[in-house]
Amino acid sequence: MAQSLTAKRLDEPLAELNLKRREFGGGEPPVRSNTPVGANAWLAVWMFLGAEAMFFAGLIGAFIVFRLSAASWPPPFQPRLPVGVTGVNTLILLLSAVTMRRSIASVRAADSAGAVQLLGATAILGTLFLAVQGYEWVQLIQFGLTVSSSVYGGLFYTLIGFHALHVFGALICLLVVFARARKGRYTAERHVGLQICAMYWTFVVALWPVLYGLVYLY
Amino acid sequence: MLKRKILSTLFFACLAAAAIPALAHACAVCLTGDGDATADAFNWSVLFLMATPYTVVGSIAGWLVYKYRRAALRREQEAAANPMVRLAWNQEESGR
Repeated sequence: MAQSLTAKRLDEPLAELNLKRREFGGGEPPVRSNTPVGANAWLAVWMFLGAEAMFFAGLIGAFIVFRLSAASWPPPFQPRLPVGVTGVNTLILLLSAVTMRRSIASVRAADSAGAVQLLGATAILGTLFLAVQGYEWVQLIQFGLTVSSSVYGGLFYTLIGFHALHVFGALICLLVVFARARKGRYTAERHVGLQICAMYWTFVVALWPVLYGLVYLY
Repeated sequence: MLKRKILSTLFFACLAAAAIPALAHACAVCLTGDGDATADAFNWSVLFLMATPYTVVGSIAGWLVYKYRRAALRREQEAAANPMVRLAWNQEESGR
């Protein structure tokens, strides 16, 4: 039976339908449970981001305790935070996440030049965010808000400072990826380094609106 | 005999701690009562910190499920786009 059907298939192309049957070796391809669907580095970065999220959760937890137990917030005789400028700065950082995601789309579409441009734009937006934050800090210190001035100042500089430190770290990572992208190291098929950098950048950007809402608006 | 003395001392110490909680300082926020701002602040903070690990682990698990489902969908689409007969034995032999 099998031999006759195989012979038939050699003679008649239409008989390939028979070969789709399992007894002729056809059917669905075998499922390999050990086949990874993504790079191992992605999972490692997810673990790292989970630890980072817990770190910031601890800081936010401390902020909640002091914020909710305070009779008045901000405390009297302490400078108010610049909500408007930081709001614009928030939009700048959110825009940087958009350019970062689009750079990945460009790499996937084999548009290396476009990806390099978008990575450069992301780096510029990130640097602009840090520059505005630094300017704000200088202003606040001049107005008397320091780490040791009150719990308010201590919480502000700890939460926002650690975030700024993370943005700085992500920016260094981004500049390395940018340099590698300029050398053409990322292809449509293989661009794990860029994806990892984008994951970290997205985390840092996604965290900021939470901190902004909590520290500046609430 | 000595063991019995130690046990009875411990029992009365616990009893005293339960009867006079202010001296025991067992819990920093247990004595403030309902409606106290500090107690509420600690409660909200604890709830937030309790929910965060579930959110983090859930996000990672959700991402893995999403990736596996997308990979399966992509395999199906590739199979539909490629009318060539897939031979299971051939695939296993070649390892692809």
